[in-house]
Amino acid sequence: MTLDFSFIWTAFVKLLPAIPNTLYITVVSVSCGFIIGTIVALSRIYKIPVLNQLGTSYVTFIRGTPMLTHLLLIYFGLPLIIDGLAEKYGWSFNSVSIPMIGFAYISFSITAGAYLAEVIRSGMLAVDKGQLEAAHSIGMTTFQALRRIVFPQAFAAALPNLSNSLIGMLHGSTLAFTVSVVDINAKAQIVAATNWKFFEAYLAAALIFWGLTIVIERITAWLEKRINVYNRGGVA
Amino acid sequence: MGTQFDIAFVFEYFLKLLPFIRISLVIVGSSILVGMGVGFLVALPRLYKIPVLQRISQVYASFFRGTPILIQLFLIYYGLPEILKLANIDVSKVPVLFFVILAYGLHSGAYMSEGIRAAVTAVDRGQVEAAYAVGMTGFQAFTRIVFPQALAISIPILANLVIATLKDTSLAFTLGVMELTGKSQTLVTMSRHFIESYVALALVYFIISFILEKLFNLAERRLLKHEAPISSKDRVPMGRKWLNSRIDGEIALSKGGSGI
Repeated sequence: MTLDFSFIWTAFVKLLPAIPNTLYITVVSVSCGFIIGTIVALSRIYKIPVLNQLGTSYVTFIRGTPMLTHLLLIYFGLPLIIDGLAEKYGWSFNSVSIPMIGFAYISFSITAGAYLAEVIRSGMLAVDKGQLEAAHSIGMTTFQALRRIVFPQAFAAALPNLSNSLIGMLHGSTLAFTVSVVDINAKAQIVAATNWKFFEAYLAAALIFWGLTIVIERITAWLEKRINVYNRGGVA
Repeated sequence: MGTQFDIAFVFEYFLKLLPFIRISLVIVGSSILVGMGVGFLVALPRLYKIPVLQRISQVYASFFRGTPILIQLFLIYYGLPEILKLANIDVSKVPVLFFVILAYGLHSGAYMSEGIRAAVTAVDRGQVEAAYAVGMTGFQAFTRIVFPQALAISIPILANLVIATLKDTSLAFTLGVMELTGKSQTLVTMSRHFIESYVALALVYFIISFILEKLFNLAERRLLKHEAPISSKDRVPMGRKWLNSRIDGEIALSKGGSGI
């Protein structure tokens, strides 16, 4: 068996329909993770009594264990909890009604939440305290000051890390094959196994991931240039 | 799916998983070593701006940072034997573990090269000039002056990378290596206590990464003894040049969000 270049193209075309699944998982998990992360980051910055400790242990635990274990725990643990509750309260909703991709969404959101919490926290801490004080002194409420003054600057500071997390989750979405979601990686396995051409299929998958990563990098670079306009030094 | 949750199984599985920490750590250790070698070789052309090699190392770093480790594992496992077959080298008898280590080594090498690059550029240019001024050669200046400082700067990056690699080793089971995750999946085939096994697995990983983090903190404090004590994460920006560069370095380097 030698390298079959034409099959790389064939595999590439066959993998294209699986791209949306990968992107769904990435986008959903990063968006949900962003919401979780913001809540955790805020409660850690403002040291809200119970939430602070909960958030800290959540972040420590998730960042200390592989993403795969989160997925496996959710995949096997969540049905147990839901079925238990459904039996107790007589719901018609049980674990079978959750689609496979739902498990991937939930578990990857939890993973992304922990990583994004740190990203958001470091971004907010990078904003000078004086900015918030200045906003207070011209009469803004804390909420206004956060929304109008701190968040935009924190976003600019956290942008490189955010794109890193996005790329990390894109790469992490390959794990979805363990819960039988057909993303690019799972599709590559299928294409490879049916044609007995593993190297070519995975090469095509690698090329797609590489392309997607470069697109994310480019968009971030462009966004960074735009968003940091306020931060230019010098005159005029 | 599975049976009633039973905490006793968590302890049982935890103890059964302990012997397999060794194989996971072997993968981490050897791939970090491979990664250091590769990363160093790849970083040098970019640091000294060698024309063609610079491009090649750029593409290498971009590829290995731009594709998921899982795909890389399969690529190397299935691809390398075929490529070597063209050169009439038969590797069908080589254990899977070598392919796994090579894949993780090349993966971490890409991150390592970026880390080394950032750390070396973070060392103040004046240090090299001062070294030249007292008559050191380029090699001496690098090994005696730049390298020790760069090492201290790169410890947090290295720590991140080692822990990320540890978490990545959970994917080696896809190629049939019997490490922690692989073992935890075979444990449950007898008793069907899935969650207990995965809880134990998560605990093991958590404890290892916790210990690793503590060790690296210790190392960092030791290596930065000549500097003012500043190893807290939320440090205030100081006027020191390399401190600022280090923060930039970390932003560019921390290994993605997931660390899978």
